[in-house]
Formats: sequence, structure tokens, C-alpha cells
Amino acid sequence: MSAIIMPFQKGYNGLHGGTSRLWAGFSELDRVRSELELTRSKLQTFESADVEFSEIKKENDRLRALLGMKEMLKYDSIPATVISKDPDNWFRTLIINRGENDGIKVNMPVVAYQVAQNGEVKELVKAVVGKIIEVRGSISKIQPLIAPEIKIGVKIGENRFPGLLSGYTYNSNLCVANYITRAAPIKFGDTIITSGQAGVFPPGLIIGTVVKSELLETSPYQRAIIKPFIDYNLLEDVFVIKKAPDKDLFDLFEEIK
Amino acid sequence: MIVTYIITAVIVLISLLIQSHPSFDVIRIAGVKPDLIFIIVVYVGYSFGSFNGQITGFVGGLFHDAASNSPYGFLALPKLTVGFIVGMIGRSVLKSNVPTIILLLFVSTLLKGIITLFLSYIFTQGMLSSIIHVIIPESFYNALLAPPLFFLFDKIFHGELEREGYL
Repeated sequence: MSAIIMPFQKGYNGLHGGTSRLWAGFSELDRVRSELELTRSKLQTFESADVEFSEIKKENDRLRALLGMKEMLKYDSIPATVISKDPDNWFRTLIINRGENDGIKVNMPVVAYQVAQNGEVKELVKAVVGKIIEVRGSISKIQPLIAPEIKIGVKIGENRFPGLLSGYTYNSNLCVANYITRAAPIKFGDTIITSGQAGVFPPGLIIGTVVKSELLETSPYQRAIIKPFIDYNLLEDVFVIKKAPDKDLFDLFEEIK
Repeated sequence: MIVTYIITAVIVLISLLIQSHPSFDVIRIAGVKPDLIFIIVVYVGYSFGSFNGQITGFVGGLFHDAASNSPYGFLALPKLTVGFIVGMIGRSVLKSNVPTIILLLFVSTLLKGIITLFLSYIFTQGMLSSIIHVIIPESFYNALLAPPLFFLFDKIFHGELEREGYL
């Protein structure tokens, strides 16, 4: 008897199971659809979060780099942005968005970081921009290295021979180091650094590289034309080094005057 | 005439802001950038006579001095002088066409450069090499920019020029 019923039971069971699964399929379709929508909206949220995350990561990297730059300086420094450049071709001063209120004083050195190609490797070089020549409440004026009026004591990095650096001409992006003894061997590509002797710039800051040396018949010295590391046409961000000028030296200069 | 003064003052101020913005350095050619304020001074002198030319040159030059690192008057005196001289010639002598405007700006910028060079020997560190490095390239650049700017100024000062009888 059971042998007769069993196929029916099996058939019914199968039919029931199939029907209930089919019914469950229909009834769950709505739930699945709503779950799908929910999942899609979650996916969108995650996708936008991913974009946001990559932006935050970039910002974090940039801030870390800036922090690193600041830590690389021996002295305390004030980051600033160039807000104006001299409107005339006869002068090359820069104006930054930090002033007396931020602790900036006249004769403080200004540096910036420039990407330099060293063989196949790109590296960040801290190089001199110029010095502060005028300070107001929230702005300051920088006299750059390329201004003919500036005078900075420098050394040739390789052989330590000293010289006096100033801007080459009014509109060029070059500098010239004068009063270098004729005995000094100057080569193309030699690095020029600050000597620190005038009491304004700390010693050892990079200025640029030699592009040409000239022996003048009328002078007992030789001079070197220097290409600064800083590209003044593209300069945007600078750091003002909180280093007061050497007071004793300045008093001495005043006495001599 | 008061309208001319107001419009000129506004254009000078806008030009000064453009000229001193860091991004303006990107358009340097041969190390120099154009002197927009000077082009305005020449235009005013050329269109409205010596008096207006020298006043615009003096006031524009003083603004220029204030924004620059120059001693006061260093950039104002050359502009004042050229504004006066151009005003003496003006539209009544020189017809307004492209070659004339180019030549006018080239010669005017040369003259301005020579006066500035002379002053630089007195006030700062004069360099004869500035003739090659600053004066001549700037003259070419200003001359090149002058025709479109003069065309623009003609549109702006249309009413005033009509009153003066030049249109």
C-alpha cells in the first residue's frame, strides 16, 4: 500500500516543493529587488567614498610633504604664498601674503622648494629665493636673487672659493657671482651656496649652478654666471626663515657707513 | 570729460592688477612682459591731447611706482613725459591705422626706456645692457599688443571720441 502511495506522496511533495519554491520566488522577488536597490545605493555610496578617500589621501600626502619640508629646515619657518610680482620689467620684487603680524622682519631669508632632475631621479631641492626688504601688517616684499640690487656672500660648493652674488640684468633669470679669485677653478654645473658671512642667510643654502665663467681683462677677479634653482616665473609658495640677521655684523656695517 | 577720467582710472587700476598678478609672468617673452599701463597712457595722449596724456602718465606712473619696488617717480616721470609728447602729436597728425599705432608704441616705448635708463643711473644701478635686455624687447612687445588694445579702447571711449570729433 505504501508502495502505491509513495510515488504520489513523492509526486505531491515534489509538486508542493516546486510550487512553494515558485511562490516563494514570486514573493521574494520584491524583497530581492528592494535589496538590489539598497545594495546599488550602498555601492554608489562606497564608490563616492572611494573617490573622496583618494582625494583625502592626496591631500594628506601633500600636507605630509609640506610638513616634511618644514621639518627639513633647521630654523623655524613661515609658509607663504606669492600674491603679486613686480609689474615692471625694471624690478623683480615679489609680494607674499605674510607680514609683521606673522612675525616676519626685514632681512629674513626666503627659500622655496623646487623639483630638480638629478640624473634620472627627481628630487626636491631647497633653494634661496631672496630676502625680505619691506614688511607691512599682512604682506611682505621679497627682493629676489635675480635683482641687480641684491648682494649675497656665496661660495662655490665644490672648492669653497668665495664670491659676491647679485642679479645679472634687470629682466634676466640669471645671477652673477663677482670677485671670485682667478685661481678658483670654476666648472659648468658647479653648485653655488650661501657663505653665511653677511649674517642674513644661514650658510650652505643652495642658490644655483654655474652656467659660465668669465675672466675679464680689466679685473683681477673672475666672475661666474649662475642659473638659480628657483624658476621665478613659476614660483608660487615660499618659506620665510625665522632667522634674525646677525646683530653684531649689522652694527658694524652701520658704524662703517 | 569727467567720464573719460573715471574710465581711464578704472582701466589703469585693472591693468595694474593684471600686470602685477603672478600669473602674468607666464606671458614673458625674451624675459619681458608688456606694460599695459603705458599703452593706456599713450592711447590717452594720442586721443585726448597732451594735458590728459601727462596727467594719466603721472597718476598711472605713481600707481605703478606704488606697486613696484621703484623709488617714487621713477616710473611716473617717463610715462608723464611720453604722455605729454604723444599728446602733442595726437590723432590730428597721425592717422589711426595699424602700422601707425605699432610704430607709435615702438618709438614711445623706446623713449620711455631711455628716460628710465637715465633715471636708473641716478636712483638705482644703471646698466647699459638694459637697452638690449629690457628696452628693445619691451618696445616690440608693446607695439605688438597695441593695435588690439587701441581697438578695444576705441570701443570703450567711443562716446568721448565722437564728442572730440575723431569719429
